[in-house]
Order: sequence, then C-alpha cells, then structure tokens
Amino acid sequence: MQSRWMAVFAIAGLIGSAPPARAHHAFAAEFDVNRPIKLRGIVTKMDWINPHSWIYLDVKGKDGKTVTWMIEGGSPNVLVRMGFSKDALPPGSEIVVEGFQAKDGSTRGVGKSLAFADGRKLFLGGSAPGANGETEK
Amino acid sequence: MIRRLMPVALAGAVLAALAFPAPADPPLRTPDGQPDLQGIYTNATVVPLERPANLKGKEFYTEAEAAENAKKVLGISSWERLGSQAEVHYNMSQFGLDLSQVKVALSLRTSMVVGPEGRVPPLTPEAQKRQAERGARNRGHQFDSAENRPLQERCIMFSTEGPPMLPAGYNSNLQIVQGRGYVAIVQELIHSTRIIPTDGSPHLAPGVRQWMGDSRGHWEGDTLVVDTRNFNDKTAFRGSTANLHLVERFTRVDRDTVLYEFTADDPATWVRPWTAQLALAKIEGPILEYACHEGNLGLPHTLNGAREAEKAAEEAKKAPK
Repeated sequence: MQSRWMAVFAIAGLIGSAPPARAHHAFAAEFDVNRPIKLRGIVTKMDWINPHSWIYLDVKGKDGKTVTWMIEGGSPNVLVRMGFSKDALPPGSEIVVEGFQAKDGSTRGVGKSLAFADGRKLFLGGSAPGANGETEK
Repeated sequence: MIRRLMPVALAGAVLAALAFPAPADPPLRTPDGQPDLQGIYTNATVVPLERPANLKGKEFYTEAEAAENAKKVLGISSWERLGSQAEVHYNMSQFGLDLSQVKVALSLRTSMVVGPEGRVPPLTPEAQKRQAERGARNRGHQFDSAENRPLQERCIMFSTEGPPMLPAGYNSNLQIVQGRGYVAIVQELIHSTRIIPTDGSPHLAPGVRQWMGDSRGHWEGDTLVVDTRNFNDKTAFRGSTANLHLVERFTRVDRDTVLYEFTADDPATWVRPWTAQLALAKIEGPILEYACHEGNLGLPHTLNGAREAEKAAEEAKKAPK
C-alpha cells in the first residue's frame, strides 16, 4: 500500500497538481479486497439511484441454483449526462462482472469491470459514443 | 443523441477572462435590473486548492503552460487519483467519473489560494490541538454507529459543499437563481439549497447555528458579496470553528463565466485570513436530483462489514491455538 501512495504522490509532484478523486464513501470499508468475484449472469433490473447505481444480476451456480447479486456502480446523474437511459441495460442482458464482494458476506459487490457477454464493456467501454472518455469530433 | 462533452478546448476565452477579470460589457441584467449571475455552472477544475511546492512563487501560468498543465492533469486516470481506494473501487472511467470526461473551468492560476504563498495559512496551536482531539475522540470508534461516520457518507453534507463551495470531484455542478431580494444556490452534491437574502436584513441572532451558516448578500457594483456566519460546530471547514466568518464574491466576467472568490477568517483556526479564487463555467443543464438518503446502501454495508469483522475477530480469539 505504501508504495502505491508513493507513486501517486510522485506523479502529483511531477505534474504540479492533481485534484484528489473523491468518493461518496470509503470503498475499502464496504468491500473486501480478499473476496474477488467474477460473475456471469442475467440482468433483472438496474436501480437508478444516488449516490450509486445498482445492477441486479441472476447468477446460476454450479449446483444449478440461481442467486441474485447486486452490483454497485457510479452516480446515475453522470450516466444520464453521458446519454444513457434506462434502456441502456435492458433486463435479460447477459453480463460479466469482475469485482469484490461486500465485507458483510452478502451477495452484493462492487463492479470493477462490467462487460456484456460478447466482450463489449458496459457504459463507456464501447456501448455508446463517448466510450473510454473520447469526445465526439 | 449523446450530448457533446467539452473537456479542455473551451480554454481561450475563459483563460483570457480570468487573466483580466472585468465586468461583462454590457453587464448582463435581470429584468429588475440586478447584475445577472443566473445559470447552471460547473466548478470542476484542474487547479488544486494549494500550490504545489515546485511552483513556489509562481501564482499564474502563461496560457501555454496552463494548457499544458490541464493536459497533464486530465491525462491522469482516476485510478491514480484514487490512490489506496482504487483497489476495491468501481471503474471510474467506465461510469463517466474521470475528470477528463467532464467540462472543466480553466484558469491561469496555479492554485486556488491567491497570493505569493498559494497555501492555506498554518493552523494556530489551538487549532492543531483541537484537530488532534477530534481525531482521537473517534479513533477506534469509526465504525461504532452511523453517527461515527463522516457527514457525506450519512448524506448530510458533502465535504466540498461548504460554503465555501469547492469542486466535488464528480457532479461538480451548481445553479444560481435570482429573485427580488434573494439569490439561491443549489449544488448538485449533496442536495442543499442556500437561500441568500439581499434585502439588507441582518444576520440571525448568534445563538442560531446552521449547517451552512447564515448567509446575507449585497451588491458592490456588479459583484454579489455574501457574508456568512453562524455555522454549527459540526461542519468544520478545514478544521475551522463555528465562528468561521466567510465572505464570498461572485462576479460575472463574461457570458459563460462567473469568478468565485472567498475569504475565510477564523482567528481560532488560521494564523491569518486567506482567500481563494476559482471559475464557474457555464454548462448545459439541468441540475439533476441527488436523493442521497434514498439510495444510500453504502452506510449499512460499511457498518455490517465492521460487525462481521468483529465477529471474525471474536471467533479467532476462541479458536484453539
């Protein structure tokens, strides 16, 4: 951890200024870095709520049982401004989520990377203009 | 249709305006003749509050340097800016949360804090002691209950909401609305609206304390001057006391830019008053609702996670060695 901080400070020093990124809450308090998850499942709904959006996902286990997971994402205000709508992720979509499970052991987690089954990333990663932060020319 | 994002390119006009702030010509007016500050703005910026050590003594960039700095800052991914939080954070750019994905208000300033130092003045010994005590009180109890958690995690106040108003990191948007005798400012994060009388009425009695203080405004030429006192002792702007006295100045320097300046004075906190300046750049609206309480699952997750960790620690104690 120490070395990561050093790297960040070094970069900040070099370029002169880097405003800190602020999150609404401490992610490390909510999610467990020792419980990585990789889920493939069917989206049942998406809550467009602040401070964080939540994607509901039905995941079929090896035993054939279906477990519902909830995955935390970014502020819906930003998504709306980027042009996404409730139709951007329709129920029935198959997605793959990589992230970390909640520390309380519930079937909730944070999505570090979210992609459709065919590999297209959700939201900015190719599913819409503005992908990967590029602007329309 | 996706709305076009405008990161850096807006530069020229804003840079020029901020280098030589002067009232717009002719000044924009509301129908009843007030200087018109109304609009929806962002205060997202690449300028840090305090000047980095390597720019000591240099208060302003040249236009070329400012553009170069903006390019560098916007080139840093949120992963890098998140630091230790990045480990278990969702992908910022995937959710449109990189600074490079929004419009930023550019400035030639190398720090928001004005003056040769460009730094917030040192804390008084009294303030250092107070801050240490504050920290010690909660140490080891950060996860005891919701009331031990930071105000923004509880959806009460965002840490940058102020006043003074600073960029929030994302959703750094605000709206200014004027009526006869009042100016109102709503910031998207977190949800509060400041209603500022400009009718000459006095401050509330000193015994009345509010989360955002009590603001009273008046016009000096085309500049709105807002005087705020009567803070409570819970918001503590950079360690300040409830006696923080804040003076903010809003000047529309062109059609798309309001220059925002504040001076913070609290002799029990800083060795001298200090002033900072930043630009508010017009954006397309609307401001969106940020109903923080409604969706705040993070708080229960955080507390539940702590309870689980406590249980695990108990089990570990009981387990045969």
